[in-house]
Amino acid sequence: MYAVFFALKKPLFEFLYKFAALPKLALITCLLLVLFACKGEIPPLERKDHPLPQDAEVSEAEPGIYGGFLVTAESQQPRTFNPLVAEDAYSSQAIGRFLNGLTTYHPIKEEVVPELARSWEISSDRKSITLHLRRGVLWSDGEPFTAADVIFTFKALFDERYPNRYQGQYIIAGEPIGFEKVDRHTVRFTTARAYSPFLYVIGFIGILPRHKLIDAYEQGTLLQEWSVRTAMHEPGELVGTGPFRVHSFRPGQRIIYEPNPHYWRVDSKGQRLPYVDYLITRFVQDRNTSTVLFASGQIDAADIAPGDVVGVSRNAPLHGFTVHHRGPATGIRYLWFNQKPGVNEDGRPYVEPHKLEWFTNKYFRQAILHGFNREGLIQSVYFGRAELLHSIISPANQRWHNPEVPKFPYDPGRAIELLEGQGFEFREGGQLYDKHGNPVIFDVYASEGDDITPQIMSTFRENMRDLGIRVRVRYLDFGTLVARISRHFEYEAAMMGFTGGADPSGGRAIYLSSGRLHLWNPEQEEPQTEWEAKVDELVYASEETFDLEERVDYVHRMQEIFSEQLPLLYLLTPHAYAGLKDKWQNVHIPAMGSVIWNVDELYLDREL
Amino acid sequence: MIRHLFKEIARRPLGVVCLTILGILYLCTIFSQFLAPYLPTDQDLNNAYHPPTRILMVEWRPHVQVYEQVDPSAARYEPVEGATVPVSFFSSGAQYRLWGIIPADIRLFQVEEPHRIYLLGSDGTGRDVFSRLLYGAQVSLSIGFIGICITMTLGFIVGGVAGYFGGRVDFAAMRLVEFIIAVPSLYLLIALRGALAEYFEPEQMYLVIVIILSLIGWAGAARIIRGMALSLRQRPFVLAAEVMGQSSFRILFKHFLPNLASYLLVAATLSIPAYILAEAALSFLGLGIQEPGTSWGLMLQQAQELKVFTLNLWWLLLPGAAIFITVITFNVLGDVLRDIVDPRQQMVKR
Repeated sequence: MYAVFFALKKPLFEFLYKFAALPKLALITCLLLVLFACKGEIPPLERKDHPLPQDAEVSEAEPGIYGGFLVTAESQQPRTFNPLVAEDAYSSQAIGRFLNGLTTYHPIKEEVVPELARSWEISSDRKSITLHLRRGVLWSDGEPFTAADVIFTFKALFDERYPNRYQGQYIIAGEPIGFEKVDRHTVRFTTARAYSPFLYVIGFIGILPRHKLIDAYEQGTLLQEWSVRTAMHEPGELVGTGPFRVHSFRPGQRIIYEPNPHYWRVDSKGQRLPYVDYLITRFVQDRNTSTVLFASGQIDAADIAPGDVVGVSRNAPLHGFTVHHRGPATGIRYLWFNQKPGVNEDGRPYVEPHKLEWFTNKYFRQAILHGFNREGLIQSVYFGRAELLHSIISPANQRWHNPEVPKFPYDPGRAIELLEGQGFEFREGGQLYDKHGNPVIFDVYASEGDDITPQIMSTFRENMRDLGIRVRVRYLDFGTLVARISRHFEYEAAMMGFTGGADPSGGRAIYLSSGRLHLWNPEQEEPQTEWEAKVDELVYASEETFDLEERVDYVHRMQEIFSEQLPLLYLLTPHAYAGLKDKWQNVHIPAMGSVIWNVDELYLDREL
Repeated sequence: MIRHLFKEIARRPLGVVCLTILGILYLCTIFSQFLAPYLPTDQDLNNAYHPPTRILMVEWRPHVQVYEQVDPSAARYEPVEGATVPVSFFSSGAQYRLWGIIPADIRLFQVEEPHRIYLLGSDGTGRDVFSRLLYGAQVSLSIGFIGICITMTLGFIVGGVAGYFGGRVDFAAMRLVEFIIAVPSLYLLIALRGALAEYFEPEQMYLVIVIILSLIGWAGAARIIRGMALSLRQRPFVLAAEVMGQSSFRILFKHFLPNLASYLLVAATLSIPAYILAEAALSFLGLGIQEPGTSWGLMLQQAQELKVFTLNLWWLLLPGAAIFITVITFNVLGDVLRDIVDPRQQMVKR
């Protein structure tokens, strides 16, 4: 039995070994790696001279030179290459390498820019949008790209036989969006209600090649197409318009992409992008491994955790890389109380009535946040490389984040004041009792398996003990936790996190009282409280106006309500750090999203 | 018998060394509340990853060096020249209950707040590693004893009964043993642990884990005891006892137990380290003791971060050293005991 335990512990020793070997044995490790790489079959890339499309987009980046390969590492691998099946970020990322949407979000300019659509017009009633497609674009197998492909993609997306995650995105005011072909290079979309994030969300879905998938679509087997097996055995079948196409895929080892010979972007010298010969993603066991690989110069780019920045930076001169500070991360981490009234199927209330009374009291929630030493956590656990979160939108999202919301810094005195103002009182032993004489005790659920969570929860528990509140922490695995908070609703408090998107329309499932992720009291038929009704109103209003400043204003007001009411107690947001080798040129590191978002423009400076 | 054992151990230097080390370890564990300057949950968020504090002698009294944080982003602390705080011995501080019963407030050594004494450094939330090691020992060192108490009792009862009665009883007992041996224990553990996690607080998981570990661990012992009981069964003194009409129960405890005692003792000593390692491994995999509880395995798991190596936070790996020492000592002691009770298997010719 114990032998099994040690077998499982083995990765640690490998990891220790790798790290111990860092400075001295780096050379040997590299040599071994090269040997490994050579054993594989990366032939030199031959670039064929295909004519450029009529509507080719000229990149604003500095023109570069061809060659080199860029190596990254991921802890998870794609589970599918079919955008209608993909549910996870890793599959979506792989799909995004070879498929394009109609529009895309430019992380530096922070606005929607053309991708397969070269321009668009919005009708006067704002309910219909006409998109002009790029002319002369070819799929990676040489077939022409036309409006028929766009119509095919949206037909497949709304087909009842093919349930997928995009359907919800494209149902606006209860109705699916309308789409029609105007001519070979023009499509028109109509929405039931004016919907300003439309151009942003329309870019989510990668346009599929009709000529490749129409047979499967008609036979009803579209969801079985483009699986992991396709990528392994016939990568040529994965046809797209994106900068790359899949060269080869070995599950558990790596995926190699090569440039798409028909890609529609060129540089100012007329050279077709991308510059790199190969883009390689290695699959590694966990984040620690990819950090070690980066620190020892074996991969070109990696995200670095705040605690590892100093250690990794020590190797920077040796391997020629820089660890870039990207400011606060987009993810938000929060703790919340279950405010769901009513009873479950067995007739038991979801939350005991006296506890529900505390949880629905905003002063109670504010007091808890005042009593939580988040500043100290930032100091210790995050080495000062994090900041307090005050709003439901992370400060990383500079356009939408409202810095002027009510704030609740660590102030136990104020917390006690607030609690006493609500009839809570301290009795013998410093225990806090509510006005009906119930001791204040609650359970918090958190998910196991990340090293920061226990530290946050232990600190929370200690801080609450100082307020006379007994907190019991229970760790569950992530799936059980999600089931508990979204299906059974049998919990008192929980801690979780969300990764944020660029446009606030991505968060409507949280904001709206009818939303599926309105965690504290989801899927309400009618808004239960006045402030929730007000938030609903603001969200709808922000989606209807096309004026950016007006939208920002609505979203700012929504954040103020959230920060005043604190249905979610926002905790903190760590700073994001990205490591990248210095030899890459044209690097522009955005505040959010992938560091190598413009991988087609990156080129290698041979001298570095 | 016990006195004889001690005499024999005292004649062997290795045995004396092992007994002394274990004696110190267990004494520290029993008096951990008195010896530890802090509670295992006492945080100091301003002193995360503090290195072990230097102890200086100033005017013949031990003083603690005061440090200041020079670089919070790398957890770097520098000693402040000339600033020291005296260590006070046997002074009173925060209240605690010794062994959960006796109220007390005296601790072996403390320093005046807000200064802190970190004999072995501090962890990510400024908790004292020394105190946590002592409190963690309560779990890590007792888990083996509780474990063997359960396994040896069960093993003796099932094995002894099977060997003594033989026939159908033997058959049934041995099939049960085989059934338990055939259960893939790691999966059973993971499943049980997952299923029970909701109903227990992290502190209580400790007992759950011991019980799970020992309920699947007794089968091996039962088999061996059954074999020994089978041979004992034929010995004249057992037959005599039967002829004289002693009850089976009495024979089991009066005649079998003393004859099996030497085996039980050696087996127990040798299986304690297995429990300590199992607890460490489980906690390491995130299946064992959880925050805010503490154990050596959990502490080691919390040290499994890249920054421990890059920032040279070596003191976070001390629980590993503690496990190492304990396991080695138990194993050597087990060998010594076996030499004593079974001279034929003597390993070293003397």
